[in-house]
Amino acid sequence: MSSEAALWPFIVYFLAVLALVATMLGLSWLLGQRRANQATNLPFESGVLSVGTPQIHFAVEFYLIAIFFVIFDLETVFIFAWAVAFFELGWEGFLAVGLFIFILTIALIYEWRSGALDWGQKTRTGWKPER
Amino acid sequence: METIASPPPGVTRAPPAAEDLIDRFGADTVQTQHCADGVPTCWVVPERLLAALAYLKPRYPMLLDLFGVDERLREHTPEPASDFSVVYHLVNLKPWREFRLKATTSAASAGLPSATALWPNANWYEREVWDMFGLRFTGHPNLRRILLPPTWQGHALRKEHPARATEMEPFSLDEERQREEQEALLFRPEEWGMDRASADTEFMFLNLGPNHPSVHGVFRIALQLDGEVVIDAVPDIGYHHRGAEKMGERQTWHSYIPYTDRVDYLGGVMNNLAYLMALETLAGVEVPPRAKVIRIMMAELFRISSHLVFYGTFAQDVGQMSPVFYMFADRERLFGIVEAITGGRMHPAWFRLGGVAQDLPEGWQRLVLDFIDSMPERLDHYQKMAMDNSILQQRTRGIGVYSQQEAIDWGITGPSLRATGVDFDLRRDRPYGGYDQFDFNIPIATGGDCYDRAAVRIEEIRESLKIIRQCVDNMPAGPFKSEHRLTTPPPRERMLEDIETLITHFLSVSWGPVVPAGEASFPIEATKGINNYHLISDGGTTSYRTRIRTPSFPALQQIPLISRGLMIPDLIAIIASIDFVMADVDR
Amino acid sequence: MSPLATALFGLAVLAGAVGLAAILTWFERRLLGVWQDRYGPNRLGPLGILQVVADMLKLLTKHDWVPPFADRVVFVFAPTAIVVAMLLGFAVVPFGEHLYLLDLNIGLLFFLGMTSLAVYSVLLGGLASNNKYALLGGLRSAAQMVSYEVFMGLSLMGVVMLTGSFSLRDIVLAQQDLWFCIPQVLGLYVFLVAGIAESHRLPFDLPEAEHELTAGFHTEYGGMKFAMFMLGEYLGLILICCMITTVFFGGWLGPWLPGPVWFALKTSLLICFFVLLRAAIPRPRYDQLMSLGWKYMLPLSLFNLVLTGAIALWLRGA
Repeated sequence: MSSEAALWPFIVYFLAVLALVATMLGLSWLLGQRRANQATNLPFESGVLSVGTPQIHFAVEFYLIAIFFVIFDLETVFIFAWAVAFFELGWEGFLAVGLFIFILTIALIYEWRSGALDWGQKTRTGWKPER
Repeated sequence: METIASPPPGVTRAPPAAEDLIDRFGADTVQTQHCADGVPTCWVVPERLLAALAYLKPRYPMLLDLFGVDERLREHTPEPASDFSVVYHLVNLKPWREFRLKATTSAASAGLPSATALWPNANWYEREVWDMFGLRFTGHPNLRRILLPPTWQGHALRKEHPARATEMEPFSLDEERQREEQEALLFRPEEWGMDRASADTEFMFLNLGPNHPSVHGVFRIALQLDGEVVIDAVPDIGYHHRGAEKMGERQTWHSYIPYTDRVDYLGGVMNNLAYLMALETLAGVEVPPRAKVIRIMMAELFRISSHLVFYGTFAQDVGQMSPVFYMFADRERLFGIVEAITGGRMHPAWFRLGGVAQDLPEGWQRLVLDFIDSMPERLDHYQKMAMDNSILQQRTRGIGVYSQQEAIDWGITGPSLRATGVDFDLRRDRPYGGYDQFDFNIPIATGGDCYDRAAVRIEEIRESLKIIRQCVDNMPAGPFKSEHRLTTPPPRERMLEDIETLITHFLSVSWGPVVPAGEASFPIEATKGINNYHLISDGGTTSYRTRIRTPSFPALQQIPLISRGLMIPDLIAIIASIDFVMADVDR
Repeated sequence: MSPLATALFGLAVLAGAVGLAAILTWFERRLLGVWQDRYGPNRLGPLGILQVVADMLKLLTKHDWVPPFADRVVFVFAPTAIVVAMLLGFAVVPFGEHLYLLDLNIGLLFFLGMTSLAVYSVLLGGLASNNKYALLGGLRSAAQMVSYEVFMGLSLMGVVMLTGSFSLRDIVLAQQDLWFCIPQVLGLYVFLVAGIAESHRLPFDLPEAEHELTAGFHTEYGGMKFAMFMLGEYLGLILICCMITTVFFGGWLGPWLPGPVWFALKTSLLICFFVLLRAAIPRPRYDQLMSLGWKYMLPLSLFNLVLTGAIALWLRGA
């Protein structure tokens, strides 16, 4: 079976999925009621007017997690490649990846110990953003 | 200090604490007043108010209540009263001692000095006095309306303010008005001394409530957030205010009873009890033993009911979906008993001045026993399901902690106080209504965190079951209400025979009781803490001033203190653990 | 199967997945009702199953509202993304030995890719709403999913090592003698936790967390666009259960009954298990969830790899 022959049912499937989504959106646009009163076009904030804007600078933790993700997800890609050829590579490959995982673990322990994995200290006296 | 006995009848001797106060400040500064409840009560001139309060604070460390009275229409006025008076109700927990200090002022004057430096919980109470009477407190950090909307005209508890909707313009909320009201509700951080940004981050201001799934009614907490960390919080109440105190001034003594069980709507007859204990003290009515035991049994049933709701919503607010359904099913069975006995469910309005409305129905023991026999096993099951769950423990242990000192400073009472290790319960430490005849323990915990507040309440359910069993086993025979002339009209047979009895009967049914002029309050251990009705009679068929001190009000005031530095989910756990009812806060 | 038959089968998968997700909204409520001592929807049709139709009609006739303060294009795109990604994930699931839409030799990676696309949907939905609750929900979802993504893939690598292939069909065929839930019990545990987190259902539904953030990332969504988030969530649940069946419980393998029936049975049981989790477990706090991921699950999945490798090589050498 050529690869195109194997793929075109999938393409049909993909198009059907898109069609389904488009139908759902279209139908609800057609059938949906229309209404507008004073509060319709206000953002929901527990029933009262909102103060300030939601578009503000975020806490630094979010960036940290994103960076950890980039680091660790990249590392896992190497493990993926090893896993699929595991038996061919034998003990040699295992030791090499073992070393790799060891170093990865050290990095994790470092992050852990440096407190980068702890969010917002739980104290009554006040939260210290800097660590 | 010795404990205070009520003065012998006819002698207006100042009780010891009041004498100390007179010795110290001089008789021209301090005057005493006799109250029907025997609580030492002194009037102090405004200039020496703070000094007197500071003198009293070591002896009475908790500010139980602070409220105003409009004295202008009062006929049986205590001598020092002028236009308005403000009452400071102070207590010492162990041994239980109460003291009332009163100060006079007028709306036109510069007002009274603020007591916020002495007691942090004076803050909201003084705002309430400002809101309701228009009295100023100098030195108050942020004196603004608290229960009424910021757009309200006038001060509602003043005697000239209308008490009925029919005395005012018909209410309408057109679009323009709605916009104005919304605008007035907009949270302005600057008014609370908050910065919009710090050196390295911008803060988000989030309205948690009034319409939010976890605020147990209509309640707003305006949050200052850094990410999800709560930097500061401003609780905003009043959305559930219905003027319960104002209504007390127009309803007869009897017809006010149904209003009371709508104050803490989870506590049912417990509110009736608080109101009637004060009223019976004022009227000098003695309750027969059977009525006392029936009252205790019903009150404890409602304590269980209220705690079950707490238990379920507590688990639900930390994200556990199922327990609340089990607990509501139990509560439903409990309401079945309440319905069989009283005919009502959540608001039976079944207690009466001098007793209860009817005798217990036939076969009530079986109903009650079935329930209390089945509960301990179910509670064990819930313990495993909810309280022993490690995620729930992680979410609630060490969260929302306050110390014993802080609890007392902020006027926290009831299970929330006992969770800090204060071994105090009015039912045992100042027995009322017959509780001294019962054998039960006072559960306490030491952590003062969310988990302990829940654990104490759950243990209280078991203790209440014990009390109810003792009620069933030892229910006295005899009348279920007092024969006192203020509580019961003359018997019908005699009423049909002579005109004098007929007139008495007619008056007693149409007017209701005429309660002698005076003042009394009676703190009781309600489901959520100390509930205290302060009643002032001017010798009429209605109350001159009804003051309702509820346990939920000071608890909400404390939220910012215990939530700073925690995250939004912790705040939700704190709210869940406080066990408040917005109707109980706003009245 | 011929390409035409495969294409028709694909349409059947589509109808089946969407239909099942719809029925699941009713089934879950009934099942929760059983566990919570109450009924659940029981009025419309036999056992209340027509509730699904009623809900659908209601959602279709709701105001199709796009907030004027929102980023309109992204706002509409976000809910469609999760539905499309989850449905595409079904393409690589082998329902029987010869019953599949696409036998990719990297089927497992394709699945991981599709589930990780779901994070965009939730994140974009939260950010585009321009609402504070939605923003907090969106941020939570991003951090949560990104954290759990890392070891979700790692937890499956033990299976890949033993099979030597990313093809889901090969993985099932490698379980003829022993289902991977035995040798890869650690991997199963980690994948299960990651799966709940990725489908953001109750114990780990922090982006939504109605007790904290009212409705979290979909606070501003209503009508069909809200329904699409829900559909995506239920599709995700089914997909994760399909994947656990395939990778750890021998897929269509089983005696007496036809393969697809076994597959459906195993998947249904897993779905019930997920519903039970929802009924039983409270929600951890945000930072506790992150700690669980980085401090326990990630080391555990790495440990699983080393352990699997050592034992497998030792057994082969012996």
